[in-house]
Amino acid sequence: MRISIRPFERGNVLLCVLCTILVVSVIGGNVLLNCMTRYNAASSQVRSWKESLDAAETGGDIAYAEIRKTILDPSHAFTGWTYSGGVYTPNSSVTYGKDNLSTSARVDAFYYDSNGNPWYRIRTQGTAPVAGLKRVGMDDRMGPNTRGDSLLRKVDFNYDHFVATYGANGDGMNKTLVPVSQPQVTRRVELIVAPITPFEAAIKAVGTFYGLGDAAMIDSYNSANGAYYFTANNPSDPHYSDSRSGNVEIDSAVATIRGMLYGNVATNGGTIVRSNQIAGTIDNNVPFTVPPFKMPTDFPTPQSSPTKVPGNSTVTVNPPAAGSAQSPISYLFSSFTGHLVVNQYASSQTYVDIHVTSDVTGTIDITPNVHARIYFDGNVNVKARDVVNESGIAANLQFYGISPTDPSVSQSIAIGPPGSYAATFYAPSADFSLTGNPDITGAIVCKTFYGNGNTTWHYDRQLDKVGDAVDYRVINYVEDIR
Amino acid sequence: MKLKTSQTIAGFTLCEMLVSLSLSSIVLAAAITCGISLQKSFSAVDNYFTTHMQQIRIIDYLNRDVKRGLIVTTSVDLQTVTMSVPSYIIQTGDPEAVANPSLVGTPRTPTIAYTSSGWQVNYTASPVTVVYSISGSSILRTENGVVTTIASSTDQLVPQSTDVELANTEYANTSVTFLPIFTSGNAVASRTGTSMYATAYLRNKRRG
Repeated sequence: MRISIRPFERGNVLLCVLCTILVVSVIGGNVLLNCMTRYNAASSQVRSWKESLDAAETGGDIAYAEIRKTILDPSHAFTGWTYSGGVYTPNSSVTYGKDNLSTSARVDAFYYDSNGNPWYRIRTQGTAPVAGLKRVGMDDRMGPNTRGDSLLRKVDFNYDHFVATYGANGDGMNKTLVPVSQPQVTRRVELIVAPITPFEAAIKAVGTFYGLGDAAMIDSYNSANGAYYFTANNPSDPHYSDSRSGNVEIDSAVATIRGMLYGNVATNGGTIVRSNQIAGTIDNNVPFTVPPFKMPTDFPTPQSSPTKVPGNSTVTVNPPAAGSAQSPISYLFSSFTGHLVVNQYASSQTYVDIHVTSDVTGTIDITPNVHARIYFDGNVNVKARDVVNESGIAANLQFYGISPTDPSVSQSIAIGPPGSYAATFYAPSADFSLTGNPDITGAIVCKTFYGNGNTTWHYDRQLDKVGDAVDYRVINYVEDIR
Repeated sequence: MKLKTSQTIAGFTLCEMLVSLSLSSIVLAAAITCGISLQKSFSAVDNYFTTHMQQIRIIDYLNRDVKRGLIVTTSVDLQTVTMSVPSYIIQTGDPEAVANPSLVGTPRTPTIAYTSSGWQVNYTASPVTVVYSISGSSILRTENGVVTTIASSTDQLVPQSTDVELANTEYANTSVTFLPIFTSGNAVASRTGTSMYATAYLRNKRRG
């Protein structure tokens, strides 16, 4: 038998094939659609959300760098920014990276501390484009109180939701619809930048640290509560909380700490071998920088005399006025090898600044109610008893070592026995050595520290609040999650 | 009588029919089996990625709050995280809002205080408390009493966080693990936990 095949009967097969292809395509398309949506959310939106925070923090870093320049490079601070209504804003936003992230910031000084140092607020925003389909995620359906991804990651598909809802500055003013050229995520961060005062730790060394003797001790007190007494082992004492801030900070892995330390220790990769001697916390992952110290550009015009403190002689300074912390009475000495006495003006709190352009090898006596700052270009080589601060308040006698401009030139501070002193040293380029067993009230910032005696060292917590800013740090971070 | 055989009404022989039916049955059975398998696979993959997205969401939520946090504390069983975050936005009922209702929804200007642990920036006297916890198959985020379900899955979604205190700050290590749903013959098939890890540092100095 022969069966004829007629063309009009082939349609059935074709139809079946087409239907099968259709069904398979629908299944495949559904799979692809879901996969793309997942990919869209998992890859594009999550990535953009994270990158926008990176951009916002980048904007914060840029603004922070400008704030630091107000101390380290004042002539170039906020170059390319506009100052209006107490707020600095960049002339243009910054776009960077292959993903075209953009950022901008606003900076304003919102608070001035008792030293006149400004505290800055940075409000920064970072924007990251969202690649892929203009679709929300698929997980906004979990329950009545849940909106899944869009509650966390706010993607602006057509308009900037933040400006439309809260205003450009988030203060409810100037709310408007701002179209976006493509889907994007914007995150906003507020940073508070605080001045770093010179003496925020008992000892701060940029380089190596060795000390003190096995029977040495570092603790703290607060001179606002009266004279020092030891209370670091007495929790019931009302001043106990001020007694354990004898902090030591070392930006080096070479850190040999001896003696008893009532405070925290921070190193940069160091290993503390006698940690049982440290009452506070130990953190070996705290890198920091201390910029070189430059002679203040606003140093007042010096008095005409005296101009030096020659050896084997006593020079007495009687200021013609009391001055103030911001406008002290100033002197310029070409040498300092003799004995210097600084008296107060009348019965007033007297503020005196002295710039010594040579080494300091003489003796100094600061009478009560005098607040003296000694800036020196050279080295210091004295005995502890040669530094007489009659008030006993370390903040009243502050030494500042001007960093040599030639990096091959070293600077040193050597304090030998006998005697004790109450003073502070801020000399980030100086090698500091302390010998003997002095009783010290004060603080030191230096390049390297060496002390081999059984020193007792008392950090005055009031020092944390004195002095002009030497740098800035970000002290607070909060994200505007709206 | 002789029957005429017309070529236009030619049919199939019984043999052909049996062969074609057999083949069709086999093809249909294969297609149905494939379809069911595809559906199961798709369902499993869809469920996997849904839970995976929730893994990411939990981590992102936690990290966002840890970064702006002042204190982060985890429970002994590592499944509840409590943190304090600055109260940045003025809310209805806050003292500023009572004094000036137009301030609702605006950022606060912080105050500066010197404390026994140094300088502190405070937006309010008391920061906001945020708690992450597990309730059944859901992960909850509670901020000032307001509960938000940030993830919900039957895949045994388990977050664990550890906070590590440093001298000046701390960081939180978080892992979120789930067991993907997959069955074979109506029985739970062999499966391996899928984990995601993240570390976030507090940007702020730790308090307490």
